Formats: sequence, structure tokens, C-alpha cells
Amino acid sequence: MKIWQFSEQAYHPAFPVPGAMRVTLPQHHCDPVLAGQLLNRYLDEYLLTDELGLDIMINEHHAAATCMSTSCMTTLAILARQTKQARLLALGIPLANRSNPLRVAEEIAMVDCLSGGRLEMGFVKGASYELFMSNRQPTGFMDRFWEAHDLILEALTNEGENFSWEGEHFHYRTVSMWPRPIQAPHPPVWMTASSANSARDYGKLGYVCATFLSGAVASSVFAGYREAYFQSFGKPAGLDRLAYLALVACAHNRDEAFRRAEKMKSYFTTAARVEPQHRNPWGFNPVEANVRALAAGPLAMRPRMRNGNPVPVDGSIEEYMDAGLMFVGTPDEVYEQLARFNIETGGFGNLLMMGQAGELDHAETVDNLTLVAREVAPRLAVLPEVPLDVRYEAVG
Amino acid sequence: MAAVRLDELDFGKLDMLDVRGTAVELFTAGSGAPLLYLHGMDGIEGAAPLLRELAKSFTVYAPSHPGFGASALPKGMNRADDLGYFYIDLLDALGLDRPAVAASSFGGWVALELLTKEPARASSLVLAAPLGLRTANRREQYVADIFTMSRQDLAKRLQASEPSEASNIFKMPEDRLRRTMRGDEALSLYGWTPYMHNPKLAMRLHRIACPTLVLWGSADALVTPAYREAFAIALPQAGHEEIAGAGHLIHADQPAALASRIAAFAAAPVAA
Repeated sequence: MKIWQFSEQAYHPAFPVPGAMRVTLPQHHCDPVLAGQLLNRYLDEYLLTDELGLDIMINEHHAAATCMSTSCMTTLAILARQTKQARLLALGIPLANRSNPLRVAEEIAMVDCLSGGRLEMGFVKGASYELFMSNRQPTGFMDRFWEAHDLILEALTNEGENFSWEGEHFHYRTVSMWPRPIQAPHPPVWMTASSANSARDYGKLGYVCATFLSGAVASSVFAGYREAYFQSFGKPAGLDRLAYLALVACAHNRDEAFRRAEKMKSYFTTAARVEPQHRNPWGFNPVEANVRALAAGPLAMRPRMRNGNPVPVDGSIEEYMDAGLMFVGTPDEVYEQLARFNIETGGFGNLLMMGQAGELDHAETVDNLTLVAREVAPRLAVLPEVPLDVRYEAVG
Repeated sequence: MAAVRLDELDFGKLDMLDVRGTAVELFTAGSGAPLLYLHGMDGIEGAAPLLRELAKSFTVYAPSHPGFGASALPKGMNRADDLGYFYIDLLDALGLDRPAVAASSFGGWVALELLTKEPARASSLVLAAPLGLRTANRREQYVADIFTMSRQDLAKRLQASEPSEASNIFKMPEDRLRRTMRGDEALSLYGWTPYMHNPKLAMRLHRIACPTLVLWGSADALVTPAYREAFAIALPQAGHEEIAGAGHLIHADQPAALASRIAAFAAAPVAA
């Protein structure tokens, strides 16, 4: 298992502001000088990640105190030059919220070029509330996503003459990548899934499939992926095709690890702070999905603990650990928890690790990352394969 | 989608009509001169109290717009402008040459799209709290943004009277919920951006040739006075009146008063 370090790069000083942390939070709560200091601090932590031999993941959100990276590719443009060896994962670029996918392709090509071919390109649907900032049409969202995806791949892989594109949603007279990406045919593609059904779509294509903070659901996501991958390619999917995102708080002793986990937990409590009407813009989810969701009730989508109950948003560290959303303890304990979760989910090759989250400070983050890199990562790198029969027990 | 039984529309017939390959849900009721009713954000079921009154004076034709209710959404249809052309085809399919037309809110926008294209297809037009003109100018909003409100806030803002329990999505039976979710999706399709308007509409409104009356609820909390003023300027050929005790959903707050004004205007198309 490989580890990718990830931070949402929060502006945590705004967490005490009452109300939503997204969409409606006024920008006067942001001290831009402080924001700049924090952004530089997070970049320093990414540089340390590179030195420690871990890989790097970047995301983006908009109008949110919980995440100051407003463009994956802007952040990665810095890291492309300042890091030396880490793979650089954008997870991801919200394609259907972008008005100009050709620009997305250009940014990908440029960052891949700058980094010497270290970019991994994640294309995501993105959170529903981002529509209020992009103001792109909520209906037909995934049609637009796939057309943008097709165009970007054709642009990046084109070895012939420049071409034009007249699609349903996008229209270009000339498509031409200067520079073009180093990786051929193109940087690896990642996508995200929270159900077996969406994972199957990515399994068919052989893309890397990541699932975020989904706990027990990860096993069905991975099972759906493996099944579709096997049908498409006639061989089992490699572990490198699957990724799981969770928070990791590691320290020399358990008490300190739990103190760190408490500081990181504000990621969960602040990420959830968004007005209900912004969670589900009209036209974004299919009608039948809305009917099912309303019938199932608001707790249906919460991750579950081993006893089947949903994790409360303000749950305890133990509850978040029980649900597989946090891995907390000494290096030995973190390793054991991850090895167990790996078996429970049938095995995955990429841990997308939030080694910084919420209010975890710089010194603590440095220590957390260093411990994980030196004492956990080497053991995860040689995890025993999950036996196939165990892996397929997860199907269903 | 098959038409479902809608108890509040038990005074007429709910059928599916084929309009050039698109299955459209059509409610018909009453007798008398033909009247085409184009519904607002709350579908034909939301207009039931008004339609019951109108059916006393007219043969009422109340279709669900494509994408709403049980009406199919033809591929490629995504603008109110498309609905304008669609309703020309629907009038042809029904053999209606020049019905009276009444419309609410979003339906008012649709009626204007229809009649700017074929001005001769209505004998008279009553627009109850119409949308369709520019809903904002830079930072000044003329029509509050329904897509940024909670459902509770929106329900309160649309009506002067207390919203009915039947409109609470958390308490709806599944077939009703599906209709509501389809309606929300369709409103988003036609009205997300540019928000609830066609930037081309204002310069076409001079083509509205039939006698026209614009009505606003005296307590409409969705549109500002500036928006009413914009309609008065864009439709100088129309009458402009107010209905007392009504919010944006005039048909829900004052169905009888709205129906009698529609009937009187159709019979004698002059402003009061």
C-alpha cells in the first residue's frame, strides 16, 4: 500500500464563526495575510511529504473556509516545481463545473511537463454545493462531465494534426496542446465512487477508483470495481487501481495520538456545516435518486460503525475509528488498524491519508507525517496480499 | 411516466396526449369557450383550486409542461424558448386556434414565449405573476432566487396563506414526491441560469398582440416592485392590476378572485 498525503488546507481560524462554512460564509471573515501564511505552511508540509518519500494529493473547493485550495492545478503547479519525486495527484478536478475543459487539459499538460511526468489526474463529479459557485447547469451534469473527459483525453493523446471539437456541450475550433504531457498516452486517470454502481463504471475503463471516508461501504465499492474490471480486462484488477481516503493521527504514544485526532476531528464537524438547500441543488441528482434518498432519510448516507449505527457528526474519536474514517495511535497501532481495514475491504493499494486536517498545527503535522513515513509506510508497502477468497467474500 | 390519479383534479379528465412524439399529461375540465392554462412552479395540481373555478366558465386545457408532472421531456429541450415552439405544436394537436390563455409565474414566461412566436394564437392573455423578463441587473435582484432557499422558506415566501401540508416533501407519498422532484428538476433545467428569464424576451414582447392583462399578488414576496415596473414598461399594451390578499401563487391564495378576473377579461378584454 502506498501513502498519499492530503490536506484540505483549511482556514481554521474561521471555524468559530457561526453558521455554514461553505457557500454563504462571507469573505470578510478571511484575513488574507493569515490565509497566505497558512497556505505556505501547508505547502511546506507537502514539501516535507516529498522528502519523506510519500506521494501527494491535492483537492479543491470553492467559497469554503474548510479548503483554501480553489484550484488543484494552481496548487500542483507550485508543487510540480518544488518537489522532486512525489507523484502529484489532483483529486480532483470537477469537470462538469468547469466552463472550459480545454483549459483544464492545458493545465494538466503543463503541470505534467513541469513535474517531469509525475501528475495523476483525477476527474470528479464534485460536491453538489459547488454548483452555486460554478453556476453551471445542474441538469445534464454527468453528460457534460463525460464529454469534457472525452475531449481532455483526446487533446492530451493527440499525435496527429490539431483538431476541432463540436460536441453537445463544448465547441472548439482548434485543439492543440503546447506543451503536451510527458506521460504517454496520458497521465493516469482517477475517479471517485461512493457506491458499487459508480465504481463499476470506472472498473470498465480501468481507471483508479478512490472512495472517500466511506468506511464499510468501501468493500462494496471495491467489489463492484473488481467485478467490472475483470469483465473488461479478463484479469483481476491490481491493488494499485483502488484507493481509500481516511484521517491518520499517529504519535509516539496513544494519548498524544488521540489529542491530535481531536484537533483533526474539526474537519468532520466543519465539513458538514452547509445549508440544507445547498446540499442538493434542484436538477443535480436524478429524480429517482432523490425519491430514494428522501424515503431513506437523512442518516442513510452517514458512514456506519460496526454495530450498524451511523457515526454522529460530532462522534467520538473511537466512533470515527470504529467506522474506518480515522486511524489513530502509535505507529504499531495505526499499522494494525490499517492492515485490518485492508483485509475487511478486500485490499487496496493506495491510502489517501489526511495527515493534516482541521486544527492540527505545523509541528504536530510534521511529527505525524514523519512517523507515518518512517514507521508505518515501510510496513504498508509490503502488506501481505489479501487472499482471493476473502476478497470475493466482500462481493454483494 | 403514466398519468397518476390526482384527487384534487377529480372534476375533469387526466389523459396523455401525443404531441409530435412527446407524451404530455393533459388535464381537461368544464365546458364553454376553450382556455389554455399554463402552470407555474407548483404544477397543474397546485393550480387545482383555480382550475375548478375556471371550469365553470371554460373548457379548460391544462397540460403539464414537458419535464413536469407525467409529461415526457423530449431530447434537446432545455429552454423556455423551446417550450414556446412546443406549445404551438400542442395547440395544433388539440385543434385549438385561438383559445383564451391564462398562465401563472413560470407558465407566464412560457405563454410569452408562445405568443411572441405566434401572436395570433390567443384570443386574450392573463398573466398571473409572470416571470421571464430579466430577474436581476448585476447586484440588484428583482426576483428572489428560489434555488438558494430552504424548502420551508420558499413555501412561505410563495404564498400569503399558510402552505398546505400536502406540499411538504417530507410527508408526501412516493408518487407525489416523484412528480415534485420531476418538477424541481424541470424548473432547474429551464430556470437555473440565466435565472428564470430569457434575455431575448423583452425585445420580442412588442409582438404580443392579443388583449393582455398582467396581475400581481398584493403580497408577492418573490418579485420586487421594480420587476412589476419592468413588466409595465415591456408590455405597455397590457393592463396591469393587483389581486388583494395574494402572494406569488395567486392561484393558491385567491383562486376565486383570479378565476373571475380571468373570466371577465376573456369576455370583455379591458383593464379595470
